[in-house]
Amino acid sequence: MPERVAICAVAQTRYSPDRGDVSEGELAYEAIRQVLEETGLKLSEIESAVTCSQDFWDGRTISNMNIQPFVGAHLGHEDKVAEDGLSAVYCGMAHVLSGHHEIVLVVAHMKESQAEKSLIENCAFDPIFMRQLGLDFLGAAALQARRYMHQYGITAEQCARVVVKNRGNARHNPFAQEPLELTVEDVLASRMLAPPIRQLDTKPVSDGACALILAPKKRAAKLTRKPVWMLGASNCYEAHYLGDRDLAECRALTQAAKKAYRMAGIRHPFRDIDVAEISEEFSYQELLWLEGLGFCERGQGGSLIDSGKTCLGGKLPVNPSGGVLAGNPNQVAGMARVAEAVLQLRGEAGDRQVEGARVALAHGVTGICGQHQAVMILGKD
Amino acid sequence: MPNRVAIVGIGQTRHRSTRRDVTLPEMINEAVREALADADLTIRDIEAVFTSSMETFEGIYLPDHGAAAEIGAFMKPGFKVCTGGTSGASVVVEGFCMVAAGLYDTALVIGFEKQDCGETTAAITAATTPVWGKGAVTGAIGEFAKQALSYMETSGAKEEHAARVRLKADRGACRNEYAHLKLGLQTIEEVLKSDYLVWPLRFLDFCPQSSGACALVFATENRARKIHRKPVWIADVEVVHQEPFRAGTFGDPTGKEAYSQHVACERLYKRNGITHPRRDIDMAEVYEPSNWEEMSLYEHLHFCGKNEGWKLVEKGITEMDGEFPVNPSGGVIATNPIGATPTIRVAEAALQIRGDAGEHQVAKDVKSALATALGGPNWTVLTLLKRTL
Amino acid sequence: MRQSAKKTEKQQEYISIRFDAPRKYRWSTGKWIGRTYLEAKENKKIVANRCPQCREVLWPPMQVCGRCKVEAGEDWVELAQTGTVMQYTYLVYPLWDPHYGEKFANPYPNAMILLDDGVYIRHFLEETDPKKLKAGMRVRAVWREDAERGEGTADIKYFRTIEE
Repeated sequence: MPERVAICAVAQTRYSPDRGDVSEGELAYEAIRQVLEETGLKLSEIESAVTCSQDFWDGRTISNMNIQPFVGAHLGHEDKVAEDGLSAVYCGMAHVLSGHHEIVLVVAHMKESQAEKSLIENCAFDPIFMRQLGLDFLGAAALQARRYMHQYGITAEQCARVVVKNRGNARHNPFAQEPLELTVEDVLASRMLAPPIRQLDTKPVSDGACALILAPKKRAAKLTRKPVWMLGASNCYEAHYLGDRDLAECRALTQAAKKAYRMAGIRHPFRDIDVAEISEEFSYQELLWLEGLGFCERGQGGSLIDSGKTCLGGKLPVNPSGGVLAGNPNQVAGMARVAEAVLQLRGEAGDRQVEGARVALAHGVTGICGQHQAVMILGKD
Repeated sequence: MPNRVAIVGIGQTRHRSTRRDVTLPEMINEAVREALADADLTIRDIEAVFTSSMETFEGIYLPDHGAAAEIGAFMKPGFKVCTGGTSGASVVVEGFCMVAAGLYDTALVIGFEKQDCGETTAAITAATTPVWGKGAVTGAIGEFAKQALSYMETSGAKEEHAARVRLKADRGACRNEYAHLKLGLQTIEEVLKSDYLVWPLRFLDFCPQSSGACALVFATENRARKIHRKPVWIADVEVVHQEPFRAGTFGDPTGKEAYSQHVACERLYKRNGITHPRRDIDMAEVYEPSNWEEMSLYEHLHFCGKNEGWKLVEKGITEMDGEFPVNPSGGVIATNPIGATPTIRVAEAALQIRGDAGEHQVAKDVKSALATALGGPNWTVLTLLKRTL
Repeated sequence: MRQSAKKTEKQQEYISIRFDAPRKYRWSTGKWIGRTYLEAKENKKIVANRCPQCREVLWPPMQVCGRCKVEAGEDWVELAQTGTVMQYTYLVYPLWDPHYGEKFANPYPNAMILLDDGVYIRHFLEETDPKKLKAGMRVRAVWREDAERGEGTADIKYFRTIEE
């Protein structure tokens, strides 16, 4: 990459099941205020803002109107990326790399508590063929989980182990919404939602916001003593119609990862990466996405979780933060992964710190069964 | 060193009020194919796809996902940008940043809207925050009605001037195979006879609701010249937003507001050494939802002094054969698929620079052009295009 | 959800699918706008906060002053309830309004009113006769009944012309 882009500060609100006490702007500002304080920047010094929210979720056409004053966009530059937060971070990276702006604020906000998830998600399905099937992302995920488990012999227990690991990790994360100490049996005994997905195989409804400040290398030193560098990133679309894809595969993720790895000089993902933050709204997804990222062979996701290598203290800890399962709003999830990766690389992750982490991977997902995948590699050096 | 970025392919659909013959993805695909054909490329040559629309108009969540195949994004990177009325230009800006950053050598930038799917005014009214001003906004039309009233009262402009702007737009649209409303208007009286919609705006004073898409192919310098004989360079872009709720969004009675157009122009012109816009730039494609707003925009964009916009109209300066043509394509008042409209402004300005605008090509040689976008609560995006950098 | 086929003689039949997509939301007013809602409901007062830097009254009240880009704090002021109409417009034909879920021709003109303390407020006018409307007319806020209030600025039913 021609120029180095640093993440100078990150902040997250404590994810919560209901932030009825604040408006969308006030929620975003809780995170924005923290990154301003940390870097010593004034809101007026932000040169451009890349925001991330959805009209359908905010219940307002042009949802970024909710947060204009809070990102300093009055008579300033702000654009909204309508995908998962990680793609907004990627876009912010381009603002800096293109030389168009230097100090860039990236912020995602979402309040899942204020709308009906199923009704909104149903509107993502093609209106002619798929919408009347009454699917939402949960129903579609159930189809994918079934297909993946059938194809590769992944078991419900292996999926449950993801939940036990992640909800358990969340106990060490002050931003986590719902840390839980669970056993595999607890997960398997929880209420069935859409077979094979049970209540504990998925995340709670969540409200929250996340903000980052990006800067080019020449400005980063004034803003932080611990810059984290963006080494590589990419994203990729899959086909839309569920029948046009083999749901047991995740070639869009593999494609996005390949490009991100090439940019970052990663040759052997499992060896070269020290900690990974994956967006797993459903437990089976962590296993599938790890395969797509090349951390193990296809179909070996179950064996990987069984081996314990992805636990805290293992060879490649995955989701030390607790991941999406512990409670993240979908739109913010990918950016929350970046925030956690940054904390890990700075050595600020407290009891969930992965010792000696130098290279981290962050992953984000948007849409039905992960139709849109995004990957970013971050480094300490 | 950031890359230089050129437009090497341009495609549009033939905009109509309803396109019952196609689904949304199929409609976008028409524009994509045209842009690829214009660039003499296949979809395999495109490295990333960036889209924009206002999804509440169609009632489709994540429309770029639903149209992934038809926009050419299958197994490719990209994302969707959504910033309201300026989305189609915001995607040009973001596409420009992604390519200038060196992340891609080629990209497709697409704006689209199929307004026959849903209720446009309802969706625009939903842009007011539900906890503030509920019901006190009459869609975008209401805002422009107030702007028209302000302009009439303060500038000395008469209804006849607004009618002349409408006639200019229609003449351009009738010569533009892609334009939506081609009315064949001949006289000022015809315009002044049309009914009032939201007082004092008449039906003919305001833009239609159209369904259409516009696609552009971007390329970096080393690819651009190999792809197209006449690449059109994106010399600069500027995005300026405004806080919502400022008094009189589009027509400020206080005289205290700094309009986003004004601020954006100051910055863009200064960076590019433009001191006399009508001299230093050859023409403009501006985003004018109403004919009254077009006259205001002449002033805000520094094409003339305050309260003089209507004088440019009186002297015919902004006609197709005038000294500084504005909207020879027919403009927004003839064609408005909202998510695509700002992209169409960039496309039309690029066609003029190339000399490829057919019957609506302006008389003078166009070496540089300004494309503007207007949206949200008076947000502005400017794109400066040049034949050579 | 219904299917309807459009039949026209020489043209191809195009089938459209109709889908009513109800969406339910529960929005938060948050702390700042919430205060305005409260004062309107309980005390029939119009309140807003003042930015410490530019000293402008922020309408709607806001945690951050968009222009100064600083936190605006909680310096609450009560606004005048009388003002002057600066601009107005009125609907001639019914438009869809998603908040009401149907087409309605709001009979009340919509206006930009300059309150006597210098704050602009966008609201309805009671006077529906276009001949009686003019910029510069003086108006006063008329509140809804106690039981009807609780919708923030909509608690003011309209502004009534002050006969002078």
